Amino acid sequence: MERRKFLSFGALVAAAAFAPVSLSAEDYRKIKPDAWKAHTVEDAIAKLYGSNTLIAEGVKITAPDVAANGGAVPVDIQSDISAKSVAVFQTSNPESAVCVFTINENMVIDYSIKMKLKQSGTITVVIEGIDGKLYSGSKNINVALGGCEG
Amino acid sequence: MEIKAKLKDGIVSVKAMAKHPMLTYDVAAKQGLEANFITHMTATVNNKVVLDMSTSQFLSKNPIVKFTFKGAAVGDKIVMTWVDLKGDTETSESIIK
Repeated sequence: MERRKFLSFGALVAAAAFAPVSLSAEDYRKIKPDAWKAHTVEDAIAKLYGSNTLIAEGVKITAPDVAANGGAVPVDIQSDISAKSVAVFQTSNPESAVCVFTINENMVIDYSIKMKLKQSGTITVVIEGIDGKLYSGSKNINVALGGCEG
Repeated sequence: MEIKAKLKDGIVSVKAMAKHPMLTYDVAAKQGLEANFITHMTATVNNKVVLDMSTSQFLSKNPIVKFTFKGAAVGDKIVMTWVDLKGDTETSESIIK
């Protein structure tokens, strides 16, 4: 067996070993690959959820107005909405999608992440409610030192 | 991966840091390297999923994620796994305090 093929075989075995976890977890990169290539927030939301109709309420975003270091901008997301998923987008980087959380009944929507922002822009968080509607919030961030070069 | 999980008022708060360069396509191209970043992260407690996160190249280097969930007790084991673009994976565990 060629080395390359052998290695990819090893990756398959590793993936199979983790199957019990991934059965109940959803990988949005595999389900919606186009959403991660979209260059605008509108396009990414449409590719992810099949709709662009947003209700601008119920999503709290806490982030600094001015980020000294664009390499690690802290962003907190909180909401009481009964949700299926939470998606984070921004306008500062070449592609828009940052991450998607799948939500189940055990989880509380209270997340903190650190993201890279190449330049000043707007962060948009979309929450897919169990009622099928899309709720959103957004926050402008000024970036003093861009974060994609580090 | 460093994981700290703490129960308070019925809600477990977790702070986790994955050690990963999170090399974007742009930076990788400039440095003549291959892009590589964490693409998916999960956490489970008692075989229940408590974090399920699909991620892109735009999380920070050595990304920190804080998340919260219900339905676990002090002493329960939390298991976290990430997988990156190249298919490498790392699993770590911690005990809820």
